[in-house]
Amino acid sequence: MADEDEQQDGYRWESEYERTWEAIREDESGNLQASVQEIVHKTRRQQLLLQKNVRLGMMRHLYVVLDLSASMNSNDLRPSRIQCVLHLLDDFVDRFYDENPISQLAIIATCNKRAEKISDLSGNPLKHKEGLAKIKDRLPTGEPSLQNSINMAAAVLQHMPAHSSREVVIILGSLTTCDPTDINETIEEAKKLGLRCSVIGLAAEVYVCRRLTEITGGSYHIVVDEDHLRELLANHLLPPPALNNIECSMVKMGFPFHKNEQEDTPALCQCHLEAAATESVHITTGGFLCPQCKSKYCELPAECRICGLTLVSAPHLARSYHHLFPLDNFKETHLLKGDTRTCFSCQSSVEGQNMYTCEKCKEEFCLDCDIFIHATLHLCPGCACKPQMN
Amino acid sequence: MGSQIQPEEEDEVSELLAVVLDTSFNSALIKEKNVGQLLDAVVIFSNAHLMNSSKNTLAVVACHPHTAKMIYPVKKDSIQNIRPPDAQMEILAHATQVIRDGIKEVVTSWQGVYSIEPLLTGGMALALCYIAKRMANTVGKLNGRILVLSSSGESAHQYLNFMNVFFAAQRKAIVVDSCVIQNDCGLLQQGADITGGNYLKAPSIAGLLEYLLWVFLPPKSLRAKLVLPKPDVVDYRTACFCHRNLIEVGYVCSVCLSIFCQFAPICSTCQTHFKFIGFKQSMVKKKEQKSLQAPLL
Repeated sequence: MADEDEQQDGYRWESEYERTWEAIREDESGNLQASVQEIVHKTRRQQLLLQKNVRLGMMRHLYVVLDLSASMNSNDLRPSRIQCVLHLLDDFVDRFYDENPISQLAIIATCNKRAEKISDLSGNPLKHKEGLAKIKDRLPTGEPSLQNSINMAAAVLQHMPAHSSREVVIILGSLTTCDPTDINETIEEAKKLGLRCSVIGLAAEVYVCRRLTEITGGSYHIVVDEDHLRELLANHLLPPPALNNIECSMVKMGFPFHKNEQEDTPALCQCHLEAAATESVHITTGGFLCPQCKSKYCELPAECRICGLTLVSAPHLARSYHHLFPLDNFKETHLLKGDTRTCFSCQSSVEGQNMYTCEKCKEEFCLDCDIFIHATLHLCPGCACKPQMN
Repeated sequence: MGSQIQPEEEDEVSELLAVVLDTSFNSALIKEKNVGQLLDAVVIFSNAHLMNSSKNTLAVVACHPHTAKMIYPVKKDSIQNIRPPDAQMEILAHATQVIRDGIKEVVTSWQGVYSIEPLLTGGMALALCYIAKRMANTVGKLNGRILVLSSSGESAHQYLNFMNVFFAAQRKAIVVDSCVIQNDCGLLQQGADITGGNYLKAPSIAGLLEYLLWVFLPPKSLRAKLVLPKPDVVDYRTACFCHRNLIEVGYVCSVCLSIFCQFAPICSTCQTHFKFIGFKQSMVKKKEQKSLQAPLL
């Protein structure tokens, strides 16, 4: 359906009346789920087609700017804009680290014409969740400041290595912004630094946001409802195509060996060193030792505070590989009535529905398996079962 | 065991166990004529799982160097009229026969050498798809888990496939257990760690069945209450793409995340455009000229 819309020029209301409900059909058990899933899947396939052969910015530094101005009290999203956004952001933080294990996230709130740091750039979701939990009790007040927020993000992001992708996602409920100086300069500055600013508007389109996103290469969307907001946030989960001026380099990384609990002497880890001054923290045996300076960390990924080496474990890198080597789309064929085929992977028989064929191994899969293979597994079972394909 | 879980919980949850069996037995196993014993252990273990509850279901995938195939449940029920010996349950006799026939068919269809790695990842991918489909179609809760039984040791060539399988399993909350015989497999160990399963190296074939029943038969919910062998520390160090050396400090290409043990001006994994930018900028800037001059001359 989506492609039809895009092909038609002119306005949507000028086009023919769309019977959207006719696209939804019940399956044999009277369930609508499969049909809805198919529509979702089609859009996903479309996305995959577009994404091909684009270099991605895999190491991401993402600032989320959250509007905490009075406009966020409005309850056009239930129960209120701010509660709805906080709830979705909580989910976003988890999924972000799942999709981008070697990336970093930070959160800024803006209210009373100021920008305020909620959590620092880090690879640890817990810190952001703590920060978000604290905002929950606050009453949004005043006006937001786009310029202050962008400047605050830029101040940190400009020192990030040139090969990483620098992104700012602004969730804006207000229709105004209160800035100390000319925002156009800030926008130019952001462009120079390679900051990709995207805005998710909760109210209506604002020219300054449109301009900001167009110049810095980000996206600008206005939310229709909660589900749409979730979808828009999910768009920022996948690594974006790399900007042209992004620098490529070899990054030195450490792969620490986990020390056994018996063989190590008890010590404080670097991550809890500061907390230890104020509260009681367990001294632990075992942990990850930086291969360069032997300082200890209790979890990965981390950046060594002593020697600055990025510490990761191999599965962290491997988790990102499916973005880089995506599985090709399978070819769709519609089965005629009476033509029964067997799905290669789940062994179920399919009749009168679509079959999906892998172009490489020529094996056929049913719709459910096709969705699972492309969305979760990222590996074609047919190819994996043939030695010459490996 | 049944007394440990709430009765209503037991009613709702059904367990689907997928056994991924590596049938390319290593030469030591064949020489000592232990293969029969191993297969018996697998069949008895599968039957024990089916016997635990009437809701339990089973899938068996055989992995060979030339193919991976789901051998149980089979599509065409050509062998329906199996008469159970004595008082054996029909389903058990059926499973036993089908698994035996399936293994025989897979093993005899291969004439090549056994030194080639079996397609474990293919088998696991099949098992995952099957479990995912069953999970989607089951009303109520279905716990899926996979048990990999392998004797062929490390299979580093399928690294990416292994990782994809483990992450997919982790997302679907499917536990991947591994029982290896004689040869350790670091990747399966990592997989067990990622998905929250058990990893065990069975010290002897004679005791294999006992190990299987002890460590791998109980479902995830019961395992916390059992005394199981302590997991080893998982070695997450990685091998570089260029020499396959295990490294502690390495260089990672910022575009394709390939890992190298030493700085190189050209990334061997991703294509041309990286080479030039890397050549122009990082070479001059980073004062790596000394190491770079050698391959250029």
